[in-house]
Parts: sequence; C-alpha cells; structure tokens
Amino acid sequence: MKTGKELGTIKMMNGNEAVARGAFEAGVKVAAGYPGTPSTEVMDYTNLRYKDIYCEWSNNEKVAVEVATGASFAGYRSLALMKTVGLHVAADALGGAAGSQINGGLVLVVSDDVGRIAGDDYNDCRHYGNMFNIPVLEPSDSQEAKDLMVEAFEISEKYSTPVILKTSSVICKTTSKVIIDENYKYEAKFRDKYPISFSKVIMTTIMTKAKGSEHPKLTKCFNDFVANMAQLAEDSNSAHYNRLELNSKKIGIITAGTPYYYAKEVLPEASFLKLGVINPLPKKMIQQLAAHVEKLYVIEEGHDVLEKNIKDLGISVIGKELFPKFPDMMRFTPDVIAERLVPDAEVRKPRTDVPFRLPIACAGCSHNFISSILKKHKIKAAADVTCGLIGCFPHMESYQLQKCMGSSIALTHGYNIAKNYSENFVAMIGDGGFWATGVNGLMNLVFNNSQSTVIIVDNSCLAMTGGQNVASSEFGFNYKPENRLDIAKVCEGIGIKDIVTVDAYEYETLEKSILNAVNAKTNSVVIVKKPCVTQFKLPKSEPFHIEQDACVKCRKCINVGCLAIESKKNNDGEFEIVINQDLCTGCGLCSTVCHKDAIKN
Amino acid sequence: METNDTGKNIIIAGVGGQGILLFSNLLSKYYLKLGYELKISDVIGLGQRGGGVESHFRYSTKPVLSPFIKAGDVDYVISFEQTETLRFLHTLKKDGVIFSSTYELTSTSVNTGLQKPMPESKTELIKAADNKKYIINPDEHKSADFNISKMMNVVMLGYYAEFRGYSHNDMIQIVKENVPEKFVEGNIKAYEKGADIARNNLAAK
Repeated sequence: MKTGKELGTIKMMNGNEAVARGAFEAGVKVAAGYPGTPSTEVMDYTNLRYKDIYCEWSNNEKVAVEVATGASFAGYRSLALMKTVGLHVAADALGGAAGSQINGGLVLVVSDDVGRIAGDDYNDCRHYGNMFNIPVLEPSDSQEAKDLMVEAFEISEKYSTPVILKTSSVICKTTSKVIIDENYKYEAKFRDKYPISFSKVIMTTIMTKAKGSEHPKLTKCFNDFVANMAQLAEDSNSAHYNRLELNSKKIGIITAGTPYYYAKEVLPEASFLKLGVINPLPKKMIQQLAAHVEKLYVIEEGHDVLEKNIKDLGISVIGKELFPKFPDMMRFTPDVIAERLVPDAEVRKPRTDVPFRLPIACAGCSHNFISSILKKHKIKAAADVTCGLIGCFPHMESYQLQKCMGSSIALTHGYNIAKNYSENFVAMIGDGGFWATGVNGLMNLVFNNSQSTVIIVDNSCLAMTGGQNVASSEFGFNYKPENRLDIAKVCEGIGIKDIVTVDAYEYETLEKSILNAVNAKTNSVVIVKKPCVTQFKLPKSEPFHIEQDACVKCRKCINVGCLAIESKKNNDGEFEIVINQDLCTGCGLCSTVCHKDAIKN
Repeated sequence: METNDTGKNIIIAGVGGQGILLFSNLLSKYYLKLGYELKISDVIGLGQRGGGVESHFRYSTKPVLSPFIKAGDVDYVISFEQTETLRFLHTLKKDGVIFSSTYELTSTSVNTGLQKPMPESKTELIKAADNKKYIINPDEHKSADFNISKMMNVVMLGYYAEFRGYSHNDMIQIVKENVPEKFVEGNIKAYEKGADIARNNLAAK
C-alpha cells in the first residue's frame, strides 16, 4: 500500500471544504446554491479557492437546482447546494430532473441537521432518493466527502440521473485528513451525450408507460431510468464505495456516514457493511453479511430509511426497535450504541440541573427594536425564518406565529382575512426570506386585495447563516451596483400603496411608521434598515450600564431580548441585572424601556 | 513532555465568541507537526447568539474513528465558561483533568426567567469534582491594558502547553503563523500570560 506522502499531500479539511475540493477535482463548472447551516461553507470555500468554478447564491433552492440543471443540460458538470429543508423548496425542480437524461453530471449536495444542532428541523433528505428513484451517497469523513463527490458525478453520468450527496451537521463540521494531489490541473468536464434531442430531456417520467405511449415518437424519448437504477443496484454489489468487513459472526452492522465510526469504535470486533451509496442498496452484500452473522443491525442517524429499504429487500434487520427515532433520539453518538449493544457498558449521564441556553439576538440587533415596539403596542405578528425568529421562543414571546422561510406575509394575509382584520396582526420578514419566497406572498397580498402590513427587516445579508449576499445586498459573488435589486422599488412595482423606509435605531420614527402602517386601511410595507451588527462589525457606541440603586429588577430591559443584559449574582450573592460591558454596543434600546431611568451611558 | 503519548481525547467548551475554534485550530497544528492522526468535531449551533460551543478534539498515534468522544473517555475538559464546564464534567475519565475559567455568561433562559438559576456556586461545584482541576479566575489577572476575558482561548493554550510540558517556542510559532498579523502581538502576550499563570499554579500544587 502506498503511503499518504506518495499519493499526495495531506490536508486537514472539514466536510464542507472536502466537498468543495471534490467539486474541483470532478471538473464542476457551475455551482448554485442557497445558504443553510450546516453546509453553507461548501459554496464559500468553492468560491474562495477554486476560481475556475462559477459560483452563485441563487434566490432560493428551487432556482439553484434549476440553474444547475440548465448547466447540466448544456453539457457541464454542475452542483446545487442546500440544506435538507431547502430541498423541500427545490423538490419540484428535482422531480423534473429525475427520470430525464443527463448530459453533464448533476449533483445536489444536501445536508441534514442531524441532532438539530443548528435548526429546528428533523428532516432526512434520503427520502428523496426513494421518492424520485435517484442515487444517494453518504460520506463518513472528509476523505470520503471529497472522493464521493467525484464519484457522484461519475454515477450521475454513467446512469444518467441526478444524484444526491448527503452530508450531515457532523460531517460538515468535523475536520479530518484528506489526501489531495497538489498538482491536479482543473478542467471543466464536458459531456454532450444527448445533443440534439431536446425531447429526451423533458420530463419523461410522466410519459413512461402511460396509456397510448407506445407511439415510436414517444418511446424514442423515453429514458428507462428505472432500469438504470436497477443496474446501479447490481453494480454496487462490487463497487469500491461499499465495503464488507467480515469479522465476528455474532454481530453484523449495516451502516453509513459517521455512525459507521461510532459503531466501529464501540464494537471493533463486529462485522460491517459500510455503505457509500445508500440508495440503491447492494442486495447481495447485505445477504452475504446476513448469512455470516447471528444478529444483524442497521445503525443509521435520522429516519429509518435504510431499515425500511433493507426490509423491502426481504431481509430482516434490527433497527428502530433498539435505536428509537425522533423524538426519542436526537443526536446519535457512540454512547447510544454502547448503551444498547455493549453488555455492562458504563453509562454516564450529564447533570440535569445545568441551565440550557436558548438563542437570543446579538446586542444591537435591529430585530430587537421592532419586537420591542410590537410588544409595547400589543401588535400581534408572524415572524419568518430570520434572526428575528428568536423572538418566537417562550423566553421572548414577541411573535405569535412562525413557519417556513418566506411564509410570514401569506400567513398574515390568511390570518387577517379569516379574522376580518379585527386584530392588529402584521408580518415581519427578513430581506433573505423576502427574496427567497416572501415576494410571492407580497404579490399575492396585493392582487387579492389584502390590507395587511408587512415589516421587512433589511440587514443587507443573510445574517443567520453567516452573512451571505441576497438580491438587495451591496456585495456578492457576481455583484454589480447596477444589478442590485431595491426592496422599496420592487414593493412599489408590485403595487404596495404605502411604503416607508426607516433606520432601526431611530426609535420614535420607527414606532410612528409601524403604527401608521398598521392603522392605514390599505396594504403597507415598512422597510427597516440597519446592516447586521455582527456580520458588518458596526462601530460600537459607549456601552450602557445599570445603576443598581435605581434598579427595581422589573426585568423589562431583559425582555428586550439582548445578549448583553444578564441577571447574575454579585459578590454579596445578591442577584442583579447587569449589562455585559464587552458585549454592549451602546444602541440604547434597553434605556427606552426602563421606567426608573436606571440605564445610563 | 510525557514520552510515549499515544493520544488524548479533549473537549473544548465555552460560548459563542470565545474563540474555541481558533483554540482547536492552533492546537491541531501542534499535534500535526508531531505526526499524530486527528479528528476535530465542532458543535456550534446558534453559538453566536448566546449558545454553547463544544469541540471534540482527538489526537492519536492510530487513526481516529468516532468524531464524538464517548462520555467517560475524555482526558481533558478545557472550558472557557464555567456553566459549560459543568455540562461536561460527566464525560471525564476518572483520571481526567479539568481546565476551567470562572468566567460566566448567564444562560439566556435564566436571564429571562424561563429557568431558575442553580442555587450553588458553579465555581464551588467544579472545585468539588473528583477530578484534578485547574481553575483560572480572569478577574485575578485583569489589567488595564489586557482584557483577559476576551483572550481566554489563547491564555488557556499557554496554560495547557505549560501543563503538558510542550515547547513554547513551537507553540508561539504556530500562533504567529495562524492569526492575522495585527493580532499576533496581543495573542503572544495572552499565550505567555497563560503559561505564566500555569507555572505559578503548578508550583503551588
């Protein structure tokens, strides 16, 4: 065996970096995506390090998949990047690509937030492999993330199908070694297999086997993608990306992703089938393992996707009865496996009395100004997927409703027509959510004669995922000042009657603008501008402090929802409300709610 | 420096903004130079907004398997915030060691009254743990020109390196190569401060 040194250079990379490197080595020409924790950095690394690859943050995930599909049809390898929740948005686009012939390889890099580390979703993108009958690949470390990324493009072209490369919050944020060839010369891979017949790359799935489809003009358009997948299933029995490790006859484990390493560490003697391609499954390998061992387990994070697919092959396997799924289990770790499969395993439990940490807005965040005014005037509101959604948590209670990205405008419209506008109920949405899909809700609101108010919080970026550009940002991979979209102008173009733009820190003007909009008997938009304090590192003003003699501990300032305001014991063991001088940005919002005038700077 | 070190499992903990990822990045460079295999897994969550951050750091002479360290297998808990220290005490081996700052960022759920604060002093709870512990109180080392709370990550790196008997020259070289130029001077100062505090603490023990 060659050592790493002979093969190439060893680099330490996290999963996201490795996927970007894989895209480079696969000769990808076009990368389109939408930010989503934990996989956002795949695009950032691609753009930063591999300048030959065209990168864009698209308007939303559906657009990204369409851009990538178009590039693939043009013959070039292309990738679309998103988190699993984003694939729900893009599902229609993927459904259209699935089943049609592929020119340049088309790979969707999709990341599950396993353990709900960053989000509140418990989704599993592997279901889309079953639904659309397309391959799903899953790496278990950074080396595999790079290698399987290249393999994904090979499979996409060989079996003429879009492919999902599934990563997870653990893969994305785990750094391990990757061997790379520093002398690798990039070349955009091109394959023009179906150059003229446009009909072969329309949505052929709907016509396959349909009544009257025997006509030769139709049959010549068919792509027998079902047969392609069957072939891949057959080939995967001897493919290098699936590995059978026959050891002890007592326990056999079918697994993929990081759970392979959890299980391998806890049960080093066990026999393993380590899958690189998790859809379709290598039936013969599974049968071989099943015949070798007394007990066969499937160890997978997320949903019971592998388990169901294995059982569908007629092979019995122990899975969720031993490793229960959501909501009983969130984060799959070696401890979970040891507890259930290692006799007399020592079980260590954390202290249960250590307070948990709910997210709260950064000090100086414009969202706090808005939620503070809404609470003050008892205006109900729907929040969106934005940093402002933190206001929905029970410790803040600033908003009454919060659903998916871009939803708050239509949610508000629905609420208001059902209640005949009898309450003050407004929509709050970030600039990201607005462009992603919220703008659709706004158009809908206009032509359906809604009188609702929409507050658009323009912080000039997608703050929650780390400050990526949106259509109205003054930066971006492909930014040109003349192409920047203007939120106010778009609202005006759509037909909003009452539009006002205010600075978040001008409290009184903001308060008046929101009240005017709510009271107007027409549709209205309040655009609240303030660049994200964290992403743009806004200059700080003199920090505020609380004069303890004047403070009556009413906690009104804490309920503003600022990270800098703490309730902690002083040296005498007494609780005090204090402002963290390192965190305070001096925005002064807390001083506006103090009725004892105890907050000073 | 101990000979025949086949590797260690370390959990580095704190809250967003404390530079946990920089700490594990700098430390990884040291072990890479020594030829160890490494796996570092960061659990960040909504760290920037008052959440906890944990980094599972494993180096070994053999390939590292699981990115997460099983509770009970941890050699060192290095924590920059004492609530987070308490969260990981159960993960330590019997002979595992705690390195903890007494800095505290009160949990948001306690601030807002959603949860009750712990009645006991967190520092005392840490001191009462069965494990060997090294506690740094940032207030004792504050000075007008040096905000130790903001530099606790690199202070702790110096402390840890002194504890392990590592070459400070090698470590400072790594700091120089990996932090932006304008921060090099401040970081070296923080590193030396940490090594200094460790020398005093270790001598006192």
